[in-house]
Amino acid sequence: MYEEPYRWVEAIENRRQYLDEQFKQGSPVVALSYADGILLLTVSRGTPKLYEIYDRIALGGMGHPADLEKLRFSLLEMAHVEGFNRSPSDVTGMRLVKYGLAPVIKQAFEEIFKAPFIVKVLLAESGVKPGRDAFLTINYDGTFEETADWAVLAATPIIQAEMRAYLKQETGLASGTLGQAIDSAIRTWAVGSMAQNKEQVEENKEETKGSSKAGTTQSASANQDKAALLAHLRETVAEKTIECAVLERTAPGSSKYRTLKPHDLGRLLPKPLQQHA
Amino acid sequence: MGMQGDFLQLLKEQGYQLGTSVRAGEGQEITRGTTILAMKYRDGVLVAGDRRATAGNMVMYDRTDKVLELDRHSVMAIAGVPATAYEMVRILEHSFKYYRRTQLQELSFEGKLRAVSKLLKENVAAALAGTGAVAPIFAGYDFEQDSAKIFFYDILGAEFEGVEYAVSGSGSPTIRGILHYLNTWSEQPLSALPEEQATIQALRLLTCAAEFDSATGGVNHEANLYPVIKLITEAGVQTIPESRLKPLFEEKVSRHV
Repeated sequence: MYEEPYRWVEAIENRRQYLDEQFKQGSPVVALSYADGILLLTVSRGTPKLYEIYDRIALGGMGHPADLEKLRFSLLEMAHVEGFNRSPSDVTGMRLVKYGLAPVIKQAFEEIFKAPFIVKVLLAESGVKPGRDAFLTINYDGTFEETADWAVLAATPIIQAEMRAYLKQETGLASGTLGQAIDSAIRTWAVGSMAQNKEQVEENKEETKGSSKAGTTQSASANQDKAALLAHLRETVAEKTIECAVLERTAPGSSKYRTLKPHDLGRLLPKPLQQHA
Repeated sequence: MGMQGDFLQLLKEQGYQLGTSVRAGEGQEITRGTTILAMKYRDGVLVAGDRRATAGNMVMYDRTDKVLELDRHSVMAIAGVPATAYEMVRILEHSFKYYRRTQLQELSFEGKLRAVSKLLKENVAAALAGTGAVAPIFAGYDFEQDSAKIFFYDILGAEFEGVEYAVSGSGSPTIRGILHYLNTWSEQPLSALPEEQATIQALRLLTCAAEFDSATGGVNHEANLYPVIKLITEAGVQTIPESRLKPLFEEKVSRHV
């Protein structure tokens, strides 16, 4: 029945709805450059969402753990075989995404008789020099984009834009310390998480009250005040783990990836959250 | 799938093969690396190697680095055919990383030892044919037992623990006896030496090896060329810079007769 083009387009559309639904409860991911490298941050329940891929490349993901695991393995395979056969400096995030990850995700998304990957992936790549960092985000349909300075993953493109807008008004990120980076990142995470919750609530309203929506999806962006964000964090983070990893440009040895241990994190988190870690 | 985190297996699936049993041609001299040593000292293990690579009577290169870091806590020192040895080091480096990144835990110290042994076994054909014999020393920090350890291998992959020290390469017979003597009859055993004393001994031992083995490159003072010396402690692998080796050599090793 999908032989007709119209049906196919419809099936793809259904798929989008199905996938959008899957990410609603997901935890956003924030990655940003600071003076000595790149910080990745998310808040997770149980299964970790941040991983080491190669010497200078880290991954953050949203979605189904099993799918993420499958893609993580294929990235690891590609990166290590390439790094061995050619050289570690030939392993770049862009090549991994463009020739490896994106086509696979796109194909799975469009093969409507098979299950798609329920994932959104963020790759962060620390440059040898400051200012050369690269961030790549890949959506569940295989579309990807590269950005400098920072990148985020969240349930919807709108929320992602809100988080990016929030990061944009943070000053001095690129020359800041790790502590400042964590502070900005956790608040940006909260912006995303709050927006996701809000969307949920509004949807529920819509469902119960029919279509009485007043068009008040006011962008919660720019001037979120710190206190509200921290209050939201205290509430949501309680039974979860704040997961942090860094790619440290000047770390000794070839592997630049390091996860931050609870006691490092305890010192670095904003004061009201410190007892959490 | 790569669930077992085995990088060599992954390479093989892609058609990779390590050692081939090509016979060395008549009169064809193969490049070899020469003297390496590892010994315990107060804070961990010291690993040192001279800088020379030879092919028959010819000095191929005088700036070879034979003490190579595999990861933050282990090194492999190589004696034998560098072409094969460097390849093994590259495989091991990638194997340890690949394991850690896929399995989300560090490969155990024993696992690392096995990996070296496995590679040497893969290479037996080339080792016996004469084109790829490597007899390495592996040294690293074992976090399970909280101590730095030394292991050495024959070209077939048998693994032996060097409880106090280990040597390999053409200059090693000369210094093996000295190490035994020092360890047994000095005022204190090697494993009690502080870092500086251990470094001085390593420089002296390699100078001895160069004295009696033409294939070992000693210290070339004019060219500012010193052995490579690395220390392994709980904190990781650390290289002693030439700027520290130079004064030590001038004061404690060279004799102006």
